Amino acid sequence: MPSTWLMMEHSPNGGRAPHVARLESVGRRLPATRLTTGELMASTRHRTRIDLERLTGIRERRVSDGRENSLTLAVDAAADCLGRSRHRPEDLEVVVACSITKYRDGLVQWIEPPMSIAVARSIGATNAVPFDVANACAGMLTGVFLVANRIRRGEIRCGMVVSGEYISQLGVNAAAHVRTILSRELASLTLGDAGAAVILERAPEGSRGIEVAGFTTVSQHSELCLAYPAKHDLGARMFTNARAIHRAAIADMPFLLQETLDAAGLEIGDVDHVIPHQTSVRAIRKGLGKVCETLGDTPRNGVVVTVDRYGNTASTTHFVALAEELRAGHLHAGDRVALIALASGLEIGFVLFTVDEELVRTYGHDD
Amino acid sequence: MATTIEAVAVASGRWPSRRSARRLADDAIRASVARAGVAASDIDLLLNAGLYRDRILGEPALAALIQADVGANPEDPHEGGHGTFSFDVANGACGPLTALQIADGFLRTGTIQHALVVASDADPGRGLAKRFPFAASGAAAVCRWDEGAGGLVGFRWETAPEDADLLRARVGFERGRNLLRIEEDPAFGERAAAWVGKAAAALLADHGLRPGDIDLVVPSPLAARFLQALPAHLGVAGDRLVAVPGAGRVHTAALLVALAAAQEQGRLGEARRVLLVSAGAGIVAGAALLVR
Repeated sequence: MPSTWLMMEHSPNGGRAPHVARLESVGRRLPATRLTTGELMASTRHRTRIDLERLTGIRERRVSDGRENSLTLAVDAAADCLGRSRHRPEDLEVVVACSITKYRDGLVQWIEPPMSIAVARSIGATNAVPFDVANACAGMLTGVFLVANRIRRGEIRCGMVVSGEYISQLGVNAAAHVRTILSRELASLTLGDAGAAVILERAPEGSRGIEVAGFTTVSQHSELCLAYPAKHDLGARMFTNARAIHRAAIADMPFLLQETLDAAGLEIGDVDHVIPHQTSVRAIRKGLGKVCETLGDTPRNGVVVTVDRYGNTASTTHFVALAEELRAGHLHAGDRVALIALASGLEIGFVLFTVDEELVRTYGHDD
Repeated sequence: MATTIEAVAVASGRWPSRRSARRLADDAIRASVARAGVAASDIDLLLNAGLYRDRILGEPALAALIQADVGANPEDPHEGGHGTFSFDVANGACGPLTALQIADGFLRTGTIQHALVVASDADPGRGLAKRFPFAASGAAAVCRWDEGAGGLVGFRWETAPEDADLLRARVGFERGRNLLRIEEDPAFGERAAAWVGKAAAALLADHGLRPGDIDLVVPSPLAARFLQALPAHLGVAGDRLVAVPGAGRVHTAALLVALAAAQEQGRLGEARRVLLVSAGAGIVAGAALLVR
């Protein structure tokens, strides 16, 4: 029986996984159109009296003007990622697409073929094996877990995890239905559109790279957030019990984060930056505050928040935020970063890695 | 040392109350874990590769709901226990083969001891599909690591995006409501068989084998056009292919349904080298070698 609750891999692991995986390049695509929370709430069909900005800390989010969709956002993010990478598209051995939304040509959701094939074709990844995974907002980190496993075993040297989320239509639909603060569609009003991509590769010997990755599904909470195509509205609708998710996350997170840190031989105070899934400023600060209180310390540089500017961009949030931090020069070689997934399922996962000089340089900074 | 497929079980939607992809997956899992002699709580990794589920649920992964249904460690984490990680794989009818490769990766590193791959499809209901073309069917397989010599020893893939339009499934807004449309060109089966032939040839070359060395071929899809074209592209005699009468419309579960049929017919036990082959929309074609 495994000795941890999390399904966990840590590097290196002797003969069975002799290599370490590292993040080589991170890219993103944000639509140019900004939609403020004030504008969105002014569009609600019913007079709600909800101060969503005060409640969530979200000032605005980026939204597609209809010409961008899940596929174009993913392809543009992949191109940005490749533009910063030493790798050529044909070096990629896998392309894993991880979005919840798979919209092309406006709001047409593609069930098959998988989106990864279209992304790989668009970027010229002619040698890549493409496939999709779907794991709600934990999708991209799940993809990282899978690609890192293949790199660690030596099966591949280089692969891409990518996502594009054209998810703001759920907010448009929610605006037509939300009446009060208790509405189960309130969380849909926090969503924003974005694409993100990351290239993973085998790290040079002695590098830290991804030190630990661990995931679990606390499935007794699996029905707290459900999304599916709307019957008579364009796109989809999402129904969330945000309070219950928040409660479950605060209850389960300390135990699981401690397992992750123990596997790396670290304390939370040894972590420089925590990038959690971006739901709302208040939920992140309050939630992480309680988790750190239980663990008895805080990360050195606190928690990264981008939800105030971009909203909740679903499976892309961690890499939208990571790109933001790299762009701003906030990350330095040697910094330890904890990416924390919290998603419908209830999916909880952690990817703990160390930033290296090469990654910092992809955004034009020297360390 | 390799990943072995311990047990496979099939669930069919003969009764109207069972025509739910989620319930079909639940039934297939319960039967497969019982056959493997393990408990649902022994599953460390649960991968769902089915595509057409109730309401075409987009979030959470259907795997999470299935995990809760079958009781695979659904509770809050606690000392002295271990959890289950579950998520969905989407790769057309090749999903189960992709899921087997993912499971194999984590079994190889010793990260997990038991993985479960499940796939099921059924009419999503609520009037989403006017004429849903696939049979309500599900299947599940339990995998574990075996220190002996037999098991899955390799995978190979081919992708043909130029043939992407031959099979497509999309949900779009038409006349005031969302509708699922599944379009398959009659040429899909033949083209898919050709791409499977390429993937299989590369896999056999990896292992220094020739088509004549293969004792049994377990194919997916089980559609007539694909099966008719397959022997010529693989270079094997038609009688080496597993036949599953009446399963021509099974979609993502087809590979596991064929595997279960091979087991029931006693052909899996007799075969030393088994080729699992799969093709789906994309076109994606995959092949895996199972050695006993």
